[in-house]
Amino acid sequence: MPLQTTLIISLVVFSIAVIAVLVARPVITATRGGKIMAFLVLFILPLLCAGMGVSNELERSKTTEFCLSCHIMEPYGQSLHVDDSSYLAAAHFQNHRVPAGEACYTCHTNYAMFGSFKAKLHGLRHIYIYYLGVPPAPDRITLYEPYNNRECLHCHLGARSFEQGAVHNADPDLLPAVKANRVSCVSSGCHETVHNVATLSKVKMWTGQP
Amino acid sequence: MMNGANLLERRLRLSGLLLILGLLTEVICLFWARPLSFLVLAGVGGVLLILGVVVYLLSLVSIRHSSQSGGT
Repeated sequence: MPLQTTLIISLVVFSIAVIAVLVARPVITATRGGKIMAFLVLFILPLLCAGMGVSNELERSKTTEFCLSCHIMEPYGQSLHVDDSSYLAAAHFQNHRVPAGEACYTCHTNYAMFGSFKAKLHGLRHIYIYYLGVPPAPDRITLYEPYNNRECLHCHLGARSFEQGAVHNADPDLLPAVKANRVSCVSSGCHETVHNVATLSKVKMWTGQP
Repeated sequence: MMNGANLLERRLRLSGLLLILGLLTEVICLFWARPLSFLVLAGVGGVLLILGVVVYLLSLVSIRHSSQSGGT
Protein backbone atom coordinates (compact mmCIF):
# COMPACT_ATOMS: atom_id res chain seq x y z
CA MET A 1 0.00 0.00 0.00
CA PRO A 2 1.41 3.47 -0.88
CA LEU A 3 2.68 5.61 1.99
CA GLN A 4 0.17 8.33 1.13
CA THR A 5 -2.76 5.93 1.54
CA THR A 6 -1.33 4.62 4.82
CA LEU A 7 -1.04 8.17 6.16
CA ILE A 8 -4.62 9.00 5.19
CA ILE A 9 -5.90 5.80 6.80
CA SER A 10 -3.96 6.71 9.96
CA LEU A 11 -5.54 10.17 10.00
CA VAL A 12 -9.01 8.70 9.47
CA VAL A 13 -8.52 6.16 12.27
CA PHE A 14 -7.26 8.94 14.56
CA SER A 15 -10.33 11.03 13.67
CA ILE A 16 -12.65 8.12 14.43
CA ALA A 17 -11.01 7.66 17.83
CA VAL A 18 -11.32 11.35 18.76
CA ILE A 19 -14.92 11.52 17.53
CA ALA A 20 -15.71 8.40 19.56
CA VAL A 21 -14.41 10.17 22.69
CA LEU A 22 -16.71 13.10 21.92
CA VAL A 23 -19.68 10.79 21.32
CA ALA A 24 -19.02 8.97 24.59
CA ARG A 25 -18.58 12.17 26.60
CA PRO A 26 -20.36 15.06 24.84
CA VAL A 27 -20.35 16.95 28.14
CA ILE A 28 -16.75 17.99 27.46
CA THR A 29 -18.07 20.45 24.87
CA ALA A 30 -19.50 22.57 27.71
CA THR A 31 -16.16 24.32 28.19
CA ARG A 32 -14.58 26.76 25.75
CA GLY A 33 -11.77 24.31 24.99
CA GLY A 34 -14.29 21.55 24.43
CA LYS A 35 -16.21 23.69 21.93
CA ILE A 36 -13.04 24.36 19.99
CA MET A 37 -12.21 20.67 20.08
CA ALA A 38 -15.71 19.80 18.85
CA PHE A 39 -15.32 22.22 15.96
CA LEU A 40 -12.00 20.65 14.99
CA VAL A 41 -13.20 17.09 15.44
CA LEU A 42 -16.70 17.33 13.99
CA PHE A 43 -16.00 19.81 11.21
CA ILE A 44 -12.37 20.33 10.21
CA LEU A 45 -11.07 16.75 10.56
CA PRO A 46 -13.95 15.06 8.65
CA LEU A 47 -13.67 17.53 5.78
CA LEU A 48 -9.90 17.05 5.71
CA CYS A 49 -10.28 13.27 5.71
CA ALA A 50 -12.95 13.38 2.99
CA GLY A 51 -10.88 15.67 0.78
CA MET A 52 -7.73 13.61 1.17
CA GLY A 53 -9.65 10.36 0.64
CA VAL A 54 -11.32 11.53 -2.56
CA SER A 55 -8.03 12.96 -3.86
CA ASN A 56 -6.29 9.66 -3.09
CA GLU A 57 -9.01 7.68 -4.88
CA LEU A 58 -8.80 9.96 -7.92
CA GLU A 59 -5.04 9.47 -8.07
CA ARG A 60 -5.43 5.73 -7.64
CA SER A 61 -7.95 5.62 -10.47
CA LYS A 62 -5.10 6.61 -12.81
CA THR A 63 -3.05 3.51 -12.05
CA THR A 64 -2.63 0.62 -14.47
CA GLU A 65 -3.50 -1.79 -11.67
CA PHE A 66 -6.81 0.02 -11.11
CA CYS A 67 -7.80 -0.13 -14.80
CA LEU A 68 -6.87 -3.79 -15.08
CA SER A 69 -8.77 -4.73 -11.92
CA CYS A 70 -11.90 -5.13 -14.09
CA HIS A 71 -11.98 -8.65 -15.51
CA ILE A 72 -12.89 -7.39 -18.96
CA MET A 73 -9.64 -5.42 -19.17
CA GLU A 74 -7.34 -8.42 -18.53
CA PRO A 75 -6.53 -9.00 -22.23
CA TYR A 76 -5.55 -5.34 -22.54
CA GLY A 77 -3.20 -5.81 -19.61
CA GLN A 78 -1.72 -8.88 -21.32
CA SER A 79 -1.26 -6.91 -24.53
CA LEU A 80 1.21 -4.69 -22.67
CA HIS A 81 3.52 -7.72 -22.37
CA VAL A 82 3.58 -8.78 -26.02
CA ASP A 83 7.14 -9.42 -27.18
CA ASP A 84 6.77 -7.53 -30.44
CA SER A 85 7.81 -3.90 -30.85
CA SER A 86 5.16 -3.36 -33.54
CA TYR A 87 2.52 -3.58 -30.77
CA LEU A 88 2.27 0.09 -29.91
CA ALA A 89 0.91 -0.24 -26.38
CA ALA A 90 3.44 -2.95 -25.48
CA ALA A 91 6.37 -0.96 -26.90
CA HIS A 92 5.36 2.12 -24.91
CA PHE A 93 4.79 0.15 -21.71
CA GLN A 94 7.91 -2.00 -21.83
CA ASN A 95 10.24 0.84 -22.81
CA HIS A 96 8.80 3.29 -20.27
CA ARG A 97 7.69 5.72 -22.95
CA VAL A 98 4.70 6.01 -20.63
CA PRO A 99 4.88 5.58 -16.84
CA ALA A 100 4.34 1.84 -16.33
CA GLY A 101 2.21 2.53 -13.27
CA GLU A 102 -0.16 4.83 -15.21
CA ALA A 103 0.07 3.33 -18.69
CA CYS A 104 -3.66 3.20 -19.52
CA TYR A 105 -4.41 6.67 -18.21
CA THR A 106 -1.42 8.29 -19.93
CA CYS A 107 -2.57 7.28 -23.41
CA HIS A 108 -6.33 7.22 -22.89
CA THR A 109 -6.86 10.51 -21.11
CA ASN A 110 -7.67 13.59 -23.11
CA TYR A 111 -4.99 16.27 -23.03
CA ALA A 112 -7.43 19.04 -23.87
CA MET A 113 -9.28 21.14 -21.29
CA PHE A 114 -11.32 19.03 -18.81
CA GLY A 115 -9.66 15.90 -20.23
CA SER A 116 -9.19 14.30 -16.82
CA PHE A 117 -12.78 15.12 -15.90
CA LYS A 118 -14.06 13.51 -19.10
CA ALA A 119 -11.89 10.46 -18.43
CA LYS A 120 -13.50 10.13 -14.99
CA LEU A 121 -16.99 10.42 -16.49
CA HIS A 122 -16.09 7.67 -18.94
CA GLY A 123 -14.87 5.64 -15.99
CA LEU A 124 -18.23 6.03 -14.26
CA ARG A 125 -19.93 4.88 -17.44
CA HIS A 126 -17.62 1.86 -17.59
CA ILE A 127 -18.51 0.93 -14.00
CA TYR A 128 -22.21 1.27 -14.78
CA ILE A 129 -21.95 -0.97 -17.83
CA TYR A 130 -19.70 -3.44 -16.03
CA TYR A 131 -22.04 -3.94 -13.07
CA LEU A 132 -25.49 -3.08 -14.44
CA GLY A 133 -25.25 -3.33 -18.20
CA VAL A 134 -24.04 -5.87 -20.72
CA PRO A 135 -20.30 -5.38 -21.18
CA PRO A 136 -18.97 -6.21 -24.65
CA ALA A 137 -16.39 -8.91 -25.23
CA PRO A 138 -12.85 -7.50 -24.78
CA ASP A 139 -12.09 -7.66 -28.50
CA ARG A 140 -15.31 -5.77 -29.29
CA ILE A 141 -14.47 -2.77 -27.11
CA THR A 142 -14.01 0.37 -29.16
CA LEU A 143 -12.99 3.94 -28.39
CA TYR A 144 -15.71 6.57 -27.93
CA GLU A 145 -14.19 8.55 -30.78
CA PRO A 146 -11.25 8.06 -33.16
CA TYR A 147 -7.93 8.33 -31.35
CA ASN A 148 -6.75 11.92 -31.55
CA ASN A 149 -3.10 12.55 -32.49
CA ARG A 150 -3.08 15.24 -29.81
CA GLU A 151 -2.65 12.50 -27.20
CA CYS A 152 0.47 11.18 -29.03
CA LEU A 153 1.85 14.65 -29.70
CA HIS A 154 1.55 15.52 -26.02
CA CYS A 155 4.83 13.61 -25.61
CA HIS A 156 6.22 13.14 -29.12
CA LEU A 157 5.89 16.68 -30.46
CA GLY A 158 9.36 18.20 -30.62
CA ALA A 159 11.09 14.88 -29.97
CA ARG A 160 13.99 14.24 -32.35
CA SER A 161 12.86 10.72 -33.22
CA PHE A 162 9.46 12.09 -34.20
CA GLU A 163 10.44 15.33 -35.92
CA GLN A 164 13.45 13.94 -37.80
CA GLY A 165 12.36 10.32 -38.28
CA ALA A 166 13.07 9.09 -41.81
CA VAL A 167 9.57 7.71 -42.41
CA HIS A 168 7.91 10.79 -40.95
CA ASN A 169 9.88 12.99 -43.36
CA ALA A 170 9.73 10.80 -46.47
CA ASP A 171 6.70 12.77 -47.55
CA PRO A 172 6.97 16.50 -46.75
CA ASP A 173 3.20 16.70 -46.30
CA LEU A 174 3.05 13.93 -43.71
CA LEU A 175 4.26 15.66 -40.54
CA PRO A 176 2.01 18.73 -40.99
CA ALA A 177 -0.94 16.40 -41.65
CA VAL A 178 -0.15 14.33 -38.55
CA LYS A 179 0.20 17.45 -36.41
CA ALA A 180 -3.13 18.74 -37.70
CA ASN A 181 -4.77 15.35 -36.96
CA ARG A 182 -5.65 14.92 -40.64
CA VAL A 183 -3.62 11.69 -40.80
CA SER A 184 -4.05 9.46 -37.77
CA CYS A 185 -0.98 7.96 -36.12
CA VAL A 186 -2.81 4.73 -35.30
CA SER A 187 -5.13 4.13 -38.21
CA SER A 188 -3.21 5.13 -41.28
CA GLY A 189 -1.17 2.00 -41.83
CA CYS A 190 1.70 3.30 -39.70
CA HIS A 191 1.18 2.40 -36.02
CA GLU A 192 -2.09 0.52 -36.38
CA THR A 193 -1.16 -2.49 -34.23
CA VAL A 194 -2.07 -1.17 -30.79
CA HIS A 195 -3.59 -3.74 -28.40
CA ASN A 196 -5.00 -6.28 -30.90
CA VAL A 197 -6.38 -8.41 -28.08
CA ALA A 198 -8.02 -10.85 -30.51
CA THR A 199 -4.61 -12.15 -31.60
CA LEU A 200 -2.92 -12.41 -28.20
CA SER A 201 -3.05 -16.20 -28.16
CA LYS A 202 -0.83 -16.30 -31.25
CA VAL A 203 1.93 -13.96 -30.12
CA LYS A 204 4.95 -14.43 -27.88
CA MET A 205 4.85 -12.73 -24.48
CA TRP A 206 7.66 -10.86 -22.79
CA THR A 207 8.09 -12.20 -19.27
CA GLY A 208 10.21 -9.39 -17.83
CA GLN A 209 9.00 -6.60 -15.57
CA PRO A 210 8.69 -3.04 -16.88
CA MET B 1 -39.13 18.71 28.26
CA MET B 2 -35.57 18.37 27.05
CA ASN B 3 -33.30 21.27 27.99
CA GLY B 4 -30.84 22.90 25.59
CA ALA B 5 -27.75 21.14 26.93
CA ASN B 6 -29.28 17.68 26.53
CA LEU B 7 -30.51 18.51 23.04
CA LEU B 8 -27.04 19.69 22.07
CA GLU B 9 -25.46 16.55 23.47
CA ARG B 10 -27.90 14.36 21.56
CA ARG B 11 -27.22 16.18 18.33
CA LEU B 12 -23.47 16.03 18.88
CA ARG B 13 -23.78 12.29 19.45
CA LEU B 14 -25.82 11.90 16.27
CA SER B 15 -23.33 13.99 14.32
CA GLY B 16 -20.43 12.01 15.76
CA LEU B 17 -22.04 8.66 14.91
CA LEU B 18 -22.74 9.75 11.32
CA LEU B 19 -19.15 10.94 10.98
CA ILE B 20 -17.76 7.71 12.42
CA LEU B 21 -19.85 5.68 9.95
CA GLY B 22 -18.69 7.90 7.09
CA LEU B 23 -15.04 7.61 8.14
CA LEU B 24 -15.32 3.83 8.56
CA THR B 25 -16.70 3.67 5.01
CA GLU B 26 -13.72 5.73 3.86
CA VAL B 27 -11.24 3.39 5.58
CA ILE B 28 -12.86 0.34 3.93
CA CYS B 29 -12.75 2.05 0.52
CA LEU B 30 -9.09 3.01 0.96
CA PHE B 31 -8.21 -0.62 1.71
CA TRP B 32 -10.46 -1.99 -1.04
CA ALA B 33 -8.75 -0.73 -4.21
CA ARG B 34 -11.44 -1.47 -6.77
CA PRO B 35 -13.33 0.80 -9.19
CA LEU B 36 -16.51 0.40 -7.16
CA SER B 37 -14.79 1.65 -4.02
CA PHE B 38 -14.70 5.22 -5.36
CA LEU B 39 -18.45 5.17 -5.89
CA VAL B 40 -19.01 3.79 -2.39
CA LEU B 41 -16.66 6.42 -0.95
CA ALA B 42 -18.45 9.27 -2.70
CA GLY B 43 -22.00 7.92 -2.56
CA VAL B 44 -22.11 6.44 0.94
CA GLY B 45 -19.11 7.77 2.86
CA GLY B 46 -19.41 11.26 1.42
CA VAL B 47 -23.13 11.51 2.17
CA LEU B 48 -22.64 10.30 5.77
CA LEU B 49 -19.80 12.78 6.32
CA ILE B 50 -21.81 15.67 4.89
CA LEU B 51 -24.83 14.71 7.00
CA GLY B 52 -22.65 14.53 10.11
CA VAL B 53 -21.14 17.95 9.49
CA VAL B 54 -24.56 19.46 8.68
CA VAL B 55 -26.12 18.01 11.87
CA TYR B 56 -23.21 19.48 13.87
CA LEU B 57 -23.58 22.92 12.27
CA LEU B 58 -27.37 22.85 12.67
CA SER B 59 -26.98 21.92 16.33
CA LEU B 60 -24.80 24.99 16.88
CA VAL B 61 -27.27 27.28 15.15
CA SER B 62 -30.41 25.83 16.72
CA ILE B 63 -29.01 25.72 20.27
CA ARG B 64 -27.80 29.30 19.99
CA HIS B 65 -31.21 30.29 18.63
CA SER B 66 -33.10 28.46 21.41
CA SER B 67 -30.88 29.91 24.14
CA GLN B 68 -31.50 33.42 22.81
CA SER B 69 -35.27 32.76 22.70
CA GLY B 70 -35.22 31.40 26.25
CA GLY B 71 -33.38 34.48 27.54
CA THR B 72 -36.02 36.96 26.36
